[in-house]
Amino acid sequence: MLIQKKRFFFRQIVIVLAMVFMSMLLSTSAFAQDEDGEIVLTSTPAKKDAIFGANSGIVFNINLQNKFDTKQTGTVGYRVLTLADKEVTKRAVNVSIGKKGSKSLDLRIPEQAAGFYKVQFTVNFPEYDDTVRRVFGVDPTQIKSENSKPADFDSFWEKTLEELAKVEPNFKVEELPDSSRDNRRVFSIEMKSLGNLTVRGWMTLPNTKNSRKKFPVLLGLPGYQVDLKPMFGSDEDLAIVVLNVRGQGNSRDRIRTLRDDYIFTGLEDKNRYVMRGAIMDCVRMVDFIFSREELDHDNIMVSGGSMGGFLSIATASLDHRIKLCSAQNPILCDVKALPGKVTWPLKDFSRYIRVNRGLTMNRLLDNLSYFDTKNFAINIKCPTLMGIGLLDHLAPPDNEYNAFNNLQVKKHMIVFPNLGHEVAVYYKDYEGRWMRDTFALF
Amino acid sequence: MAKKIFSITALLCLLLSTRAYCGWPTRPGRLIFSPSISYFTSNKDWDSLARRRVKANNGTFTSTSVNLYAEYGIVRKLAAYASLPYISYKLRDSINVPISKSGLGDAELGLKYYLANINYKYYFTLQGTAVIPMYKTQGLGYAQPGGELRLGFSGAGKLGSKFYSLSIENGVRKYFGEDGPLQDRYSASFGITLDKKFHDQLTAGVSGIISASSFTAFTRNIFTARDYEFTQVSLSYGHTFNSSFSMFLTASQFVVGRNTGIGTNGALALIYKIDNFLGKRVDY
Repeated sequence: MLIQKKRFFFRQIVIVLAMVFMSMLLSTSAFAQDEDGEIVLTSTPAKKDAIFGANSGIVFNINLQNKFDTKQTGTVGYRVLTLADKEVTKRAVNVSIGKKGSKSLDLRIPEQAAGFYKVQFTVNFPEYDDTVRRVFGVDPTQIKSENSKPADFDSFWEKTLEELAKVEPNFKVEELPDSSRDNRRVFSIEMKSLGNLTVRGWMTLPNTKNSRKKFPVLLGLPGYQVDLKPMFGSDEDLAIVVLNVRGQGNSRDRIRTLRDDYIFTGLEDKNRYVMRGAIMDCVRMVDFIFSREELDHDNIMVSGGSMGGFLSIATASLDHRIKLCSAQNPILCDVKALPGKVTWPLKDFSRYIRVNRGLTMNRLLDNLSYFDTKNFAINIKCPTLMGIGLLDHLAPPDNEYNAFNNLQVKKHMIVFPNLGHEVAVYYKDYEGRWMRDTFALF
Repeated sequence: MAKKIFSITALLCLLLSTRAYCGWPTRPGRLIFSPSISYFTSNKDWDSLARRRVKANNGTFTSTSVNLYAEYGIVRKLAAYASLPYISYKLRDSINVPISKSGLGDAELGLKYYLANINYKYYFTLQGTAVIPMYKTQGLGYAQPGGELRLGFSGAGKLGSKFYSLSIENGVRKYFGEDGPLQDRYSASFGITLDKKFHDQLTAGVSGIISASSFTAFTRNIFTARDYEFTQVSLSYGHTFNSSFSMFLTASQFVVGRNTGIGTNGALALIYKIDNFLGKRVDY
C-alpha cells in the first residue's frame, strides 16, 4: 500500500515536472519568436512597370513593417548601380518604427540618363538588416546600341535562304488518331532542312464539320533544349504547329550535343553555327504551312520564349510570310553588349575557347553578331509584341530594348518589373487578343 | 539556363456567345444567320404626360413577329447585314370589332464598319442602315423609307472567375416623308458566363426609343406610333450548343414611357455561324 502511494506520488511529480518543462519549452519558443522578428520591406515603383520618363522623378514607395515587439530605429536607403554593377548613386534616411508598426515613405532617386539600373533597397537596424533588389528603366526607347550590324548581314542570310531553297523539303505528315484530345487532331511532321538534315514537329487541328474552314496558324518555337510536344487547347479557330529545331527534342538525328554545348556548336564559323540551321528549320516550317490547304496562309503568327523568342524574331525577319510576331524574353540581343552583364552563355563560350586554340571571345561575338536579335529586328515587316522581365539574368532589359528599338513596325512592349526570365499570364492574354484582332477572328 | 516559356495562346473572351447583332466586328467570310420570333402584349398605355392608364374597354394589343437576320463579314473592317420581319398583330376590345393585320414589315439593309478598339478588348463599330418598307398599306409600319446611323461599343473580359460581355449602342434614325419621325434608339447590355466553357450566359439589358414627330396623337398600333418614348428592361439566357449554333431566350418589360403602350415581350432567337461561307472546300 505504501509502495503504491509512493508510486502514485512519484507519477504525480513526473507529470508536474513534465508540464513545467513543456510550459518552459513553449515560453522559450514564444521568446524565440520575438527574437526572430524582422523588418519587412516592400518597394513599389511610382510607375507600374518601373519605367520612368526622361524628365520625371524616379520614385519608389517603400513600406516597412516592424514584426518585432519593440520599437526599431535605423535607416532605409537605396543604392543605384548600372546593369554592369557600377555604382551610380546612393542615399539612406533615418527611420523609426513603433513595435509591430509600419511606416511608408517615398524614396526619390535623382534623374538618370536613358537606360536600365539596378537598385538595392536596404534596411539597417540594430537587430535586422535586409536588401531588396529591383531594376528600373529610364526612357528606354532612347537606348541605342553601340554595336553596328555586320555590313554583309543581309547578304549572309540571302545566301542562306538560297541554300535552303535548294533542299527538297520531302514533307511527311502522319495523323496520330490515338493522340487526339481536346477535340483536336494530331499530326506528326517530318521534313528536310538546311544541310539536308531531318527536323520534326507537330501540328494539332480542331475537329470541324465545316469543310470550307481554314485555320490561322500559331507557329510555336522552342526554348533552349526544350522538347516540344503537340500542343492542345480548346481554341476552335487556330491550328497549332510546333517545331523542334535541329539538335533539340525529336530532331537530334545528326546534332546531339550536351545541353550546355548546344549554344556554341559550330560558332567558330558563322556558316556552321547551329543557329544558322535552326533558323532555317523555322523557315522550312513556314514552307510546310504553305504546303497545307487547310491552313490559312495569310494569317501566321510566330511565338516563343527565350531561345524561342530569338527564333521568332529571326524567322519573322527572314520570312515575311509571317504576319504577327511575339517574342518573350528573346535571348542573344545585342550580343557584344552582353559581357559583364550575364554569365550565360558567356561562361560556356569561355569554356569553348579554352579547348579551341586560336579561338577568341571577340571572334565568337563577331560571328554571333550575324545571329543578333537586334540585327534581325530591323528587317521585320509584321506587327511585333515583346515581353521582358526587368530581373532577367539571361536577357538584360537594355539589351532587349536594343532589339525592340530597332523594330520599324507596329510594336508593343510589355514589361514585368518583378519577373526574371519569364512573362506573366497577362502577356499571353494580350498576345491572344492581338492575334485574334490581327487575324480578324472576331 | 534558358527556361522553357511557351504556353498556348490564351482562350479569349471573344468566344462568348455574344448576340449576332451587337457591336462586335464580324469575321471576314463568316455568315451569321439568325431567325427569331417574338411575342408582344399590352393592355395598358402611357398617355402623352406619361401617366399610366388601362386601355379603353379592356383593350389589348398583341403582336407576333418573325424576323430573319443575316450578316456577312466582307473584309476585316466591313460587314453587311440585312433583316426581314414578318409581323402579325391584333387590336381588340370589348366593344369594337377586332383589327388584325399581317405581312412583311420594314426590311433593313446595312453596313457595319469596325472603327477602333481599346487594348483589343473593347470595340467600336459604326453602322449605317437603310429602312425599306415591304408593304403598300399603312398598319405594318410608317410606309416610309428611313435611314439610321448607329455607334456600337462592345467588350468582354474577366470578372473574378466569370467572363463578361457588354454592349452599348446608340442609333439615330430618320423616316423620310410626311410626319416622318426622328428617333433615338439606344440599348445597353451586360452578360456574364455561367460556366467555364462559355456554354451558358445570362444577360441583363436596357433599351428604348425616343421618337419625335409633328404627328403627336396617341396611336393604338405600336407599329405606327410616331411621337412616343419608352424604355424596357430585359433578361436573357443564352446557350451555346457548339461553335456554330447558339440560342437566346429573352423576356422584357416596358418600365417608363410616354404616349405608347406598356408592353411585355418574350423572344426566342437562334444564331447560326458559318465560317468561310463562300470559300473553297478543303479536303481534310
